[in-house]
Amino acid sequence: MQLRDYILRRLMVLPVLIIGVSIVVFTLTRIGGSPVGIYLSHEMTPDEVAEIEARFNLDKPVWVQYLYWVRGIAMGDFGWSGVAAAPVADVFPLKLAATMELAIASGLVALFLGIALGTYAGARRNRLPDHVTRIVAVSGASLPQFWFGILLLIIFWAHIGIAPIGRSDAAIFASIAHPTGLYTIDAILAGSPTALWDAIWHLVLPSVTLGYGATAIVARMMRSALVEELQQDYVDAARAKGLAERIVLKRHARRNALVPTVTVIGLTFGFLLQGTITVEIIYRWPGLGRWMADSVLRGDQATLMTYVLFTSVLFLVVNLIVDLVYANLDRRVTLGK
Amino acid sequence: MLDERHCAAPVASVRDLKVYFQSKRGIVHAVDGVSFDIRDGETLGLVGETGCGKSVTGRSFLRLLPVPPCILAGGSVTFHTHVVCKACAGVGCEACDGTGRQAGRDRSVDLLGISSEDMRRIRGDRIAMIFQDPGKALNPTLPIGAQIAEVFLQHRTEELIALAGLPPDTVGAIRRFASQSPRFGDGWLLSLPGPRRAQRLRVEESLAKMVADALAETQVPNPGKLMARYPHELSGGMRQRVMIAQALACNPDLLIADEPTTALDVTVEARILELIRNLQQRRKTSVLYISHDLSLVRRISDRVAVMYAGRIVEIGTTAEVFANPRHPYTRGLMAAVPGADTPRGKLAAIRGTVPELVDPPTACRFAGRCPHETGTCRSNDPVLEAITPSQSVACFIDHPAQSGERPTYERVTK
Amino acid sequence: MTDVQQSRIAAGAMTADTAFRVRMRRLFGVLQGMASNPATVIGLVIIALMLVMAIFAPWLLEPNSPDPYQMPRDWGAVRKPPGTPGHPLGTTNEGGDVLYGVIWGSRTSLQLSLMVVGSTMIVGTIVGSIAGLVGGWVDEVLMRLVDVFLSIPELIFALAIAAVLGPSFGNIILALAVVLWVKYARIMRAQVLQIKQHDFVDAARVIGDSKLNIYLRDILPNAVTPVTVQATLDMGNVVLIGATLSFIGLSEAGIAEWGVLVSEGQAGIASGRWWASTFPGLMIFLWALAFNLVGDGLRDALDPRTEGR
Repeated sequence: MQLRDYILRRLMVLPVLIIGVSIVVFTLTRIGGSPVGIYLSHEMTPDEVAEIEARFNLDKPVWVQYLYWVRGIAMGDFGWSGVAAAPVADVFPLKLAATMELAIASGLVALFLGIALGTYAGARRNRLPDHVTRIVAVSGASLPQFWFGILLLIIFWAHIGIAPIGRSDAAIFASIAHPTGLYTIDAILAGSPTALWDAIWHLVLPSVTLGYGATAIVARMMRSALVEELQQDYVDAARAKGLAERIVLKRHARRNALVPTVTVIGLTFGFLLQGTITVEIIYRWPGLGRWMADSVLRGDQATLMTYVLFTSVLFLVVNLIVDLVYANLDRRVTLGK
Repeated sequence: MLDERHCAAPVASVRDLKVYFQSKRGIVHAVDGVSFDIRDGETLGLVGETGCGKSVTGRSFLRLLPVPPCILAGGSVTFHTHVVCKACAGVGCEACDGTGRQAGRDRSVDLLGISSEDMRRIRGDRIAMIFQDPGKALNPTLPIGAQIAEVFLQHRTEELIALAGLPPDTVGAIRRFASQSPRFGDGWLLSLPGPRRAQRLRVEESLAKMVADALAETQVPNPGKLMARYPHELSGGMRQRVMIAQALACNPDLLIADEPTTALDVTVEARILELIRNLQQRRKTSVLYISHDLSLVRRISDRVAVMYAGRIVEIGTTAEVFANPRHPYTRGLMAAVPGADTPRGKLAAIRGTVPELVDPPTACRFAGRCPHETGTCRSNDPVLEAITPSQSVACFIDHPAQSGERPTYERVTK
Repeated sequence: MTDVQQSRIAAGAMTADTAFRVRMRRLFGVLQGMASNPATVIGLVIIALMLVMAIFAPWLLEPNSPDPYQMPRDWGAVRKPPGTPGHPLGTTNEGGDVLYGVIWGSRTSLQLSLMVVGSTMIVGTIVGSIAGLVGGWVDEVLMRLVDVFLSIPELIFALAIAAVLGPSFGNIILALAVVLWVKYARIMRAQVLQIKQHDFVDAARVIGDSKLNIYLRDILPNAVTPVTVQATLDMGNVVLIGATLSFIGLSEAGIAEWGVLVSEGQAGIASGRWWASTFPGLMIFLWALAFNLVGDGLRDALDPRTEGR
């Protein structure tokens, strides 16, 4: 009952926020001046310029332009990407698949490793493993990913020479079909161990770079949640029943500590999404992040707007799901106003 | 009735128990040389103010103390276990007079000295504990049935297997399931269709039956349905009944009840007390009842021990201690309890506060608050000594030190 | 002056005095708590070293003229490894002295973090206070705005703003300021609402204090704590994001900024020139680490619940 109200309210706020974000994004790009520049050349006469402005509705009031933009998005028209030399909508899915593969790989590793590490540390509070984990966690939050990635490249690519750069070996990549766009999944679907190996081998270093910080976030949250749970009466009550410490930890404390840890998944997701930009630059990963960085430097507004809007909506939706899952999971949670 | 109890051998004897805590300001002597017996089948009330060490004393029976910062500095807690009745596996039958135990003793163990594995076997089986706040002591994310079931899985694996109709020499995944020690992959093994799955379902059925029986003991309505509920769906009184069912599930020799009704409404309190009393008398379980509520302890206990600042200052039968309190602290406590004939505004409070227990000096702990204190009290440490066969007190009023003056009640003028 | 007035003033003076003393004692306790945590002490030491480096940069290394924040170019010593005379940490592809970048970069970072944290703290505190104190539709509008800002991932938002404004270090500062004030607004509003509930604020209202007085004397001092923690963490965070934006290419090429230097050094790693990226990046890491350690220590020391965690 109460939970349903909460879900409804959250679902109603979501479109408001998305509209808000779209206004901010639109306003932002117009601050930099009219986007007519990308369509113009020096030889054009004022009449020609006016004609182009009229063609792209740039002579209308700003709010009308905004509505045209929104209508375009609703119809699947995100504009023309100067960097990709193609409509944004055409390139986007391919780049998205590459980025998602990287983010998901890092995220999954971070989730499991972070939970394991956090549990290990929290159960040994204020002993050596705990201190080590805390150092790992704090340094993970402070580590500039672009620098960490370069360090790994210096060691494994430049000096030892075992790590590859990029997403794939072009020949192997071309040898299989790509129905999902996720190289690893496609390799499995195609039944090609060579391609799978190629995919994973290229994925290792970028995932480590991206995943380290995320692992730190999860481990830190898991640790403090576990410490909190281990101080609860029910843990002592479980011990008083004669349960082995292992069961007290796994079945009681860790299980409950996972509930608050769910809340950082949203945060971690945002972290991974942002991190793909620099990681993709360093590893020459053909994903959204690198496209965005190129677009930023070359004034590709359509790509920029689409990217910011898309990541924000994704971020909002993930956070909404996380909150709803959390509200559902935690039977103790009192839903806030 | 009381005389018979006096002769009864103790089920547990605490001797010179010292539990210290490391803190920023120094070592806190939370429990500092406590000795007492809990006799077979009796209820011993342990009373004192907050922070006097009564909960720590109770918890040391189960070694439920966080080892750093806590230090078990000395003493012993000897526990004399009974033999579980072979005929009924502790459930209670004619052969054992419904107690689930055979006459005579199994062995004596020092609870502070045994391995943690041995301790674990005693916890929940031979010694059980009820906590202060049942809302916090039950895991909020597990159905209560699953929580009670854990006790049986830990301590009653054989009976469970027998009840499920499996041969006693059953091994492998199903036994691991029945003893809550699953290995990786057991979950899949037992949920895939096949004979193993059928066996698991039978064990689960027997387990549910045992849990329902345990719940039924505490007179909850509809135990079968209750098992699927989560703690937050129940009232405080119901939760405490669940806790009691869980604690008494294995018919323990000793029950530590740490303020079990403090978090409850007064109306519920009476019913819970009655329930504990009934179950205890039927099963002849000994109870250590920890409380700060003097009138409550008077109602429920056979004997009472008064704790102050980490020491027991007075112990004796309830009748004697309440009729003739000898220690000034006990007297003060009793004066602070309102009675029906206490005139309004005449409630006495003990002046001062409990002393800090960081490196306490050699002196009576009550010195400084005591209306009868003399120089002796500030330089000597009184020990618990018998004044009658069934009452002991740690005060120089009844046991003058070799040197020094002796405080008297007469000196009090206020 | 009536007796009543006099005694009220006296009582006011006394409570103000004791309140001050209580605060001082609490502050002392917090400092003690921080000093007892080795991680916090390490963080403080690193911060102190960084500050010394930033402040005394002109004495440590001769400033480049005309603009000391521009990397000096020694075209005679290009791509030299660490240990080269005159260039102890080596040089970049364009003859930039890595040590100069490391030392003067600390000055750049200090400016960046102070300007961003200072401005966001002020703006956020004001907006949050207004939302919390005024309430009603003002609160509603401001908080929806905050929600919208928080919906866009920080780095991406800052990247977009900096991109629109054009590549320059000043624009990075501006972009970060636009993105980060919302955190303070949120904290401040929550604090105001929470403290408004407290008895002592009610008591002040009963005595007849003005709203502004209550705010300045009772609400603001109590809200200092969480804002300080956030500001400390942000001092590190801002440099991290700022360097990331520089690395992507959103500040002027050739300025003495750690992120720019890492980016510049990236080209050389294929040929084994590891130093040009490594040292400036290490500085970013240490800077962020130090403020994170101190921020965490501060939070633990301020929150009695997390004692010993």
